[in-house]
Amino acid sequence: MSDIYIICVEDEPQVLDVVIRDLAKLEEVFPIEIAHSADEARQLISEIKEEGNRIGLAICDHIMPGDKGVDLMIEMQKDPFTEHTRKVLLTGQAGLEETIEAVNKAKLNRYISKPWKPQQILEVAVDELTTYVIEHEKELLPFMAVLDQERIQEAIRSKGYV
Amino acid sequence: MLTRKKQKSFNLKTVTGLSLGLFGFLLPLIFQFDGLSYAGHIALGIFLMAAVFWMFETIPIYSTSMLVIFLQITLLSQQGLLYSETQLPEAAPEHQSGNEWLVPAGAIQDGKVLVIQDARKYKPLEVNVLETGEMTRVESADISTDTRLVADTRHKLVGYTPPGFSVFFGTLANPIIILFLGGFMLAGASVKYNLDKNLTNVLLKPFGQKPMFIILGLMIVTATLSAFMSNTATTAMMMTVAIPIAMQVSKEDKFRIILALSIPIAANIGGMATPIGTPPNAIVIANLTQQGINIAFGSWVALMLPLTILLLFIAWTAMRILYPPTIDSFKLSLKGSFDKSLKAKILYALFAITVLLWFTEAQHGIPSSMVAFLPIVGLTVTSVMKQEDIRSLPWEVLWLVAGGIALGISMENTGLAMWLVSSISWDAFPQLLLLLVFGFVALMLSNFLSNTVTATLLIPLAVSMGTAGIAGEGFSLVITSLVIGAACNMAMLLPISTPPNAIAMSTGFIKTPDMVKVGIIIGLVGIVAVLVLSQLYWPLIMN
Repeated sequence: MSDIYIICVEDEPQVLDVVIRDLAKLEEVFPIEIAHSADEARQLISEIKEEGNRIGLAICDHIMPGDKGVDLMIEMQKDPFTEHTRKVLLTGQAGLEETIEAVNKAKLNRYISKPWKPQQILEVAVDELTTYVIEHEKELLPFMAVLDQERIQEAIRSKGYV
Repeated sequence: MLTRKKQKSFNLKTVTGLSLGLFGFLLPLIFQFDGLSYAGHIALGIFLMAAVFWMFETIPIYSTSMLVIFLQITLLSQQGLLYSETQLPEAAPEHQSGNEWLVPAGAIQDGKVLVIQDARKYKPLEVNVLETGEMTRVESADISTDTRLVADTRHKLVGYTPPGFSVFFGTLANPIIILFLGGFMLAGASVKYNLDKNLTNVLLKPFGQKPMFIILGLMIVTATLSAFMSNTATTAMMMTVAIPIAMQVSKEDKFRIILALSIPIAANIGGMATPIGTPPNAIVIANLTQQGINIAFGSWVALMLPLTILLLFIAWTAMRILYPPTIDSFKLSLKGSFDKSLKAKILYALFAITVLLWFTEAQHGIPSSMVAFLPIVGLTVTSVMKQEDIRSLPWEVLWLVAGGIALGISMENTGLAMWLVSSISWDAFPQLLLLLVFGFVALMLSNFLSNTVTATLLIPLAVSMGTAGIAGEGFSLVITSLVIGAACNMAMLLPISTPPNAIAMSTGFIKTPDMVKVGIIIGLVGIVAVLVLSQLYWPLIMN
């Protein structure tokens, strides 16, 4: 079975540390990889693809040196490999227009504004990954312990298998 | 790196399974076993291969079933590769004097010759063997110059009359399969219209807020629902009720263990209560039906319900002693209301009528699988179940059961099952010990294999002991099959034992030792209970 990755794209190391710490609980099931810029992210995505794994969740800052977060997300939406990846924009500085673009063109799933409350990132990640595995995984049991149990049980019930 | 390692061990498992399976298939073709017919050798090959594939899950268990049926139509059917052109080899007896005849040595087996009736049929005739040699001298008044004998008693048509291929295909429309399909339709529609959830809310209310009574309530409701729905779907649904309760207690509280354990246990046990509760029941019923023994829906429930109630109570008591709750009471938020749309009402009505008809078979005499066609037709005619709903039914389970039934047919009619059991002199065994052995083997196997697969492998053996009359006095085919079926459903030692166990384990509320502790109690008490019932209670119901 291939692994489902979480990727975090953020240029500020301190912020990245906080995000990783917040998501630590998920790491035993969903390996977390980081990138400091859109370019690094592209390389990371192609590495994950080559190893036959998938990306379930991308958490991305908007303001970064080089390409902006929204542009990266639009690109990911166009690529079949990352089309179904759940996309979360994490930023304090995206303007209204850019945000609209992200929603419309990148099919952005969530928007978290800085500064965020403790637990907020984990809650969003759990919720988005739950949606991802329910939609894309046949075998849901390995994810039960770290994700939203009620939703996964409900999915198993409605699939109705014996 | 980790991923690659997983990949490699997966390949190793597949390769081992495949080669063992293939070896199993070829073994009877390489070695000749005494007393087993030619067709029996082929059936043995199919049996060994299927057993290996089912045990190792080299290929999905339902596709093993498909493979079984494929091999049967190609190798064991009248139209298949081996039998389509075959005729019995003829030999004419040479007249000596009076009633004395010379026949080829190969035509005699255990003091009998086989008199040919048509190209594929013969009748055994006992003769008096006077002198053996290349041509054997025999004495019999029933042989004439017109008599044609089977020249070779080890020919592939001896001991086996190949059935038409449609017999093997037909297992997929076996009445028991249709009964299950009816059950699937009702269960699928119930999930679609949330009947299962709303029923749960109504049924749980009287159990109040005391922890152990909530558990008792959860167990009773789970068992009731899983008697009609799949054990897995019931477990998942009940977990959505249990998880909010679990969130009210601290992570260290052992009450979480009881919550997570009680539901899969009750779902496994509840599956025993009705014929449609769980697939092993189908294997029991299908095998008995082939022997001309019909068990009505209501009689099955009458036979199994006391066992179900007893096991639920024992599991509840055991958990109460092992993990005493520390909290006094809970808030149970039971939300939701019954769907009042027309379609939902049609479902409620059809469900009620079907179950009523199932339980009253003794009064009206309509077999339960005929009744099962009522919801199949009723729910589709009224569009309560649409195309996409029908597609999402667990069809692979029907294939799994059909393959099991088909394998049973070949084990029976090739003489394989009989050959397997006749190597041990069973009549030396007291009946109770025999039941204990079967029950214990079923329980052990089923803890590691799919319950359905275990039933598929064991029940044909019990059936042939019954039909061959080698089991000694007091042997009852029905009781032995029921003991095996019940034992298959009582296996809940490990997370891998049943899908409900796997679901409970995945919540992270329990550890394997917790499951093993309660599983051992249920397994051991269950076997004793089923033996007691088989001697004291079942005979009353069946007469």
